[in-house]
Amino acid sequence: MLKLVGVETFYGKIKALHGVSLSVEEGQLVCILGANGAGKTTILKTICGITEPEYGTIHFNDERIDHKDPEDIIKMGISLVPENRRIFPELSVYENLMMGGFLIKEKELFEERIERVTSHFPILSKRGSQRAGTLSGGEQQMLAIGRALMLDPKLLLLDEPSLGLSPKLVKEIFTIIKDLHKSGVTILLVEQNVNHALRIADYGYVLTTGKIFLSGTYEELLDEEKVREQYLGEGKYVRRSKLWSGR
Amino acid sequence: MTELITGLLQESISGIALGCIYALIALGFTLIYKATEVVNFAQGEIMMVGAYINFFFVTQFAGMTGGLNGWVFLAALFCSIIFAVLFGIILDYIINRPLKDEPVFSIIMATISLAIILRSLTAMIAGPISLIPVSPFGDSTIKMGGIVISILDLAIIISAIILMALFFFFFNKTRWGIAMKATSEDSEAAQLMGIPVKQVYRMVWVFAAIVGVISGVLLAPRMALLDTTMSYLGLKAFPAAILGGFGSIPGAVVGGIILGIIETVSMGTLSFHFEWIKEINDIIIWIVLIAVLMFRPDGLMGEAKVKRV
Repeated sequence: MLKLVGVETFYGKIKALHGVSLSVEEGQLVCILGANGAGKTTILKTICGITEPEYGTIHFNDERIDHKDPEDIIKMGISLVPENRRIFPELSVYENLMMGGFLIKEKELFEERIERVTSHFPILSKRGSQRAGTLSGGEQQMLAIGRALMLDPKLLLLDEPSLGLSPKLVKEIFTIIKDLHKSGVTILLVEQNVNHALRIADYGYVLTTGKIFLSGTYEELLDEEKVREQYLGEGKYVRRSKLWSGR
Repeated sequence: MTELITGLLQESISGIALGCIYALIALGFTLIYKATEVVNFAQGEIMMVGAYINFFFVTQFAGMTGGLNGWVFLAALFCSIIFAVLFGIILDYIINRPLKDEPVFSIIMATISLAIILRSLTAMIAGPISLIPVSPFGDSTIKMGGIVISILDLAIIISAIILMALFFFFFNKTRWGIAMKATSEDSEAAQLMGIPVKQVYRMVWVFAAIVGVISGVLLAPRMALLDTTMSYLGLKAFPAAILGGFGSIPGAVVGGIILGIIETVSMGTLSFHFEWIKEINDIIIWIVLIAVLMFRPDGLMGEAKVKRV
């Protein structure tokens, strides 16, 4: 469904991605793991067309999408839930969802999508007229996901949905992601939260400083001594709860 | 004493009319600043160009139909607004697009240059002589109680209210209006929703040009002479915007109106009773500006910024 081959992205003169290749098949939940600054967010931004790759190709359903405008890529069915949620805090919850469905022209379809999203996240309809900035962190994350679902994407990109949430909410968010996946949405998930992410993923890629370092299924990656080294800091033991905080 | 009070009331109404114009200038300025973070020093020049263009259309149509009447003014206003739309699109192309992500300093220099260019071009095309503006209402007034109100002031206030109500409706009720607010809050997130951010920016510049041109059309008949120095009144958008709360749209409106009242009242009755006010009249709003910056930098309606991360 999505295929990246040898993608290299630059920020000015700094190379952020050193030839990244990965693929996501229809119906899969794939996760990209990596520490801060490894280039996870850059991969997602490059897929969405917000940053353009210098080299390499990106195909979505056999159509080449690198160098397309973000607007066109979104219309093809890729939605991104950005890091830190990035809801519109001054707009109401309903207006946020409305913006998520900005591209929908037909009124009936729009109402239908609002209905579907709010049935997924009932809290959003309860808080409909409230300013989005007043929602709690977990509710904001639900709003951010709901907003992206307004366009009924074929592929949903999630950038660190657990960032800054309490352990209880992290669990909740991952349950939501799992349910979404079960309901048929293909998901590419970027996370620092190794345990949770790998547990629900079909396949994982580990990214270090702009390169794919390892890839495999949950079992393969958990067994891999290298993953532990990478995440638990050169063999030092770090409590799992620290990973939950996303730092 | 009653004389003082009726005098103050009468001047307040005239002040509200002037304030409505300041409010419109500040509104155009704030719209652009909020959405694109461009500090547009040329808003006063847009207003001045609007006044000239409207004058041009009025004289042309009056020449064609052989006299001044209501239809001439309406037709001229209509043509001026069409001009404003084109003007806004051009400004978006030459100022906003190339400078979008440049440092603030470059943008400020560019808009200051634009201001000077617009002033010079207008003087070149219209000639160096001041024009005598015409008012659709002449000098007619109405009396309410002991207060005499000029019809022109009343028309200014009503037009400004209609214009602001339209904006309010647009921003809060329409898809594109909300998209504009969303874009000014977080343009990258807006882009991720598929909102055509570039088109939104263009629309913002067009709106700013429309309110700018209309403020010029409304202000011109209040002035004894129409020349390019009119654009310096545009600088009052800054104290208006800062008084109301920089970046707040209702703030710009409230700030502008307060400013208009302060200015008119201090210039009128009060200066008869207190000689010293006359002396400081020219600087009074700038004193207010500094006082606001010192004691209430968020302005009257500035929102306390709450952010959850």
